[in-house]
Amino acid sequence: MRQLIGTLLIGLTLGSIYSLMALALVLVWRSTRVVNFAQAGQAIVTTYIAYEIVTRTGVFWLAVLFAVVAGALLGAGVEYFLMRTLFRHVDEGPVAALAPVIATLGLLGVIKSLVGMIWGNDFRSFYPPVSTDNFVLFGETIPFSRFNVLVILSTTVVMIIFSFIFQRTDLGLSLRAAAFQPEIARLAGIRVGPIRTIGWVFAGVAGAIAGVLITPNDVLSPASLDVLLVFGFVAAVIGGLESLPGAVLGGVVLGIGVSFVLNYVGTTLIFPTVFVVLLLALIFKPNGLLGSKKVRSA
Amino acid sequence: MVCLDQRRCVVHKLSTKKAFIAYFAFGWLLLIVADRVDELRVYQGATIAVTTLAIASIILLTGYSGQVSLGQGAFLAVGAYAAALSQTYWQSPFWFTLLIAILVSAAFGFILAFAAGRMSGPYLAGTTLALAVGLPTLANQFSFLGGETGLVYDAGLPPERFGEEFTLYKWFFWIAAFVALIAMFLLRNLLNSRFGRTWKALRANSTAASLCGVNVAQSKITAFTISAGLAGLAGALLGMISIVAPSAFPLSLSFTIITGAILAGVTSLLGSMLGAVILVVIPEIADVIAHQFGDSEKITTNLPGFIVSVLLILTVLFSPNGPAEAMRKRKEQHAKH
Repeated sequence: MRQLIGTLLIGLTLGSIYSLMALALVLVWRSTRVVNFAQAGQAIVTTYIAYEIVTRTGVFWLAVLFAVVAGALLGAGVEYFLMRTLFRHVDEGPVAALAPVIATLGLLGVIKSLVGMIWGNDFRSFYPPVSTDNFVLFGETIPFSRFNVLVILSTTVVMIIFSFIFQRTDLGLSLRAAAFQPEIARLAGIRVGPIRTIGWVFAGVAGAIAGVLITPNDVLSPASLDVLLVFGFVAAVIGGLESLPGAVLGGVVLGIGVSFVLNYVGTTLIFPTVFVVLLLALIFKPNGLLGSKKVRSA
Repeated sequence: MVCLDQRRCVVHKLSTKKAFIAYFAFGWLLLIVADRVDELRVYQGATIAVTTLAIASIILLTGYSGQVSLGQGAFLAVGAYAAALSQTYWQSPFWFTLLIAILVSAAFGFILAFAAGRMSGPYLAGTTLALAVGLPTLANQFSFLGGETGLVYDAGLPPERFGEEFTLYKWFFWIAAFVALIAMFLLRNLLNSRFGRTWKALRANSTAASLCGVNVAQSKITAFTISAGLAGLAGALLGMISIVAPSAFPLSLSFTIITGAILAGVTSLLGSMLGAVILVVIPEIADVIAHQFGDSEKITTNLPGFIVSVLLILTVLFSPNGPAEAMRKRKEQHAKH
């Protein structure tokens, strides 16, 4: 029983970080119809910035603030400079449909090698703002720490802010309209271009927070967020790639799944499990748990 | 020769017999050149042969059937490990390990394509990327895969009748070039056959193709399976000239192969050789540039990846269909006026 509760709690922590990454991918997908593989690259830059600030000042919150601002700027920059140029140039030929995916992949490579040139490829780590010691409850330790509470709380706050923006503000309405029907949104007076950039800004923020939250329990290296990118993608696919609540749900489902495999089987099978989950999701629930009924084109 | 596609007729196509003679002559030329150059160049020649095969697998997949794989390196790894395992545990002869490599990675590709191959670009892209990130980690988890040090896999020593001076690298080059030429010749015929035409039709417009009676899902799965098998063969050869260990199949390998294919122009099979040459030259250029920066380790290790990624972005932005396609277009426009 104790192990079961511990597994669920860890799953929730992992899941909330995966949810953030999944949210970032879904936000970009909805606004531009691109799966942004460079999201891991953007997040690694902001995480290194956070690392520099934590090691120099020791103030975690300042680091998070800087990471979030950097994430927002990077997101806007990538959309404005890379994606717009891309859609202007590439309109026909065999690669046209694949060009955005390949371009974000190239950007991931550029960012990772640049980060490697600046900070080196060796592993770094930074300390979390609160203790990672496990709580003791009725004389028994449960694998749950103050830091886990912080992770879950901060992701929840981010989600609440995001859903408030999307459901209750004019900006959110324009974002949803531009994602749903860009042409009609444009006719209704929404400036789709800038709205797209804002979608990328929100994605950058979500990715930056995910990077800062996962690193204290892990190591930091130019490639350390690749796995988070993959897990975020799987979570987004489970949720349907279109739906923001779906991304959150997918993240939590995946997190709890991973945590069960970790605790009851061992680290050996984490990756195969995630991959099998992805394939099963693609075969049996291709529209995701909360995806729209619209059938994906072959 | 009957010409079905008027537009393509600008490029003259050789008959199968003439193509065979051309491939044979090219192979002969390679052997003569390999005798005249030093060890390092011979080794690079073997790398080019292997890379050509890997790029050709992407050209078949992306250039012809219009699907994308960001994790081709994973199929190379599957092929290499399958070949090495069959050599270690069954003592298979070398040619048989190559066959195993093709079959196992093709089977692997079939399973993946069955699940994700029918999906549109981003889903397949993400799934294959997940594979490339996760698969190399498996080697550390199961002891029979040999962990970080990997498995022993080699082609054996060159036959004694070639003499004392016949070096191991030259032997590797002979094998790699021979296998690559055969595979490329077979692939060329495949792409000029009914299959190739079906895939081209699919890529151009899958709805129109399905109205003409093409089974879209089946054709895509076939393309993916053959591409995976080809990548597996390339992987076994790569394992032969380098090592069969996780470090030989990093995520950047997949990036590199895609870059080679895009640089070569994803629709031209012969371009794959050009792409492979560029990929082998880049580390040399990177070395020279890194030397200018005082050989700092951070620069030396990251510069090749940087150059490859920048080239990938620039090509996708400004010449997405590759130099070959751009030239063909110019030629056509020229012909119109």
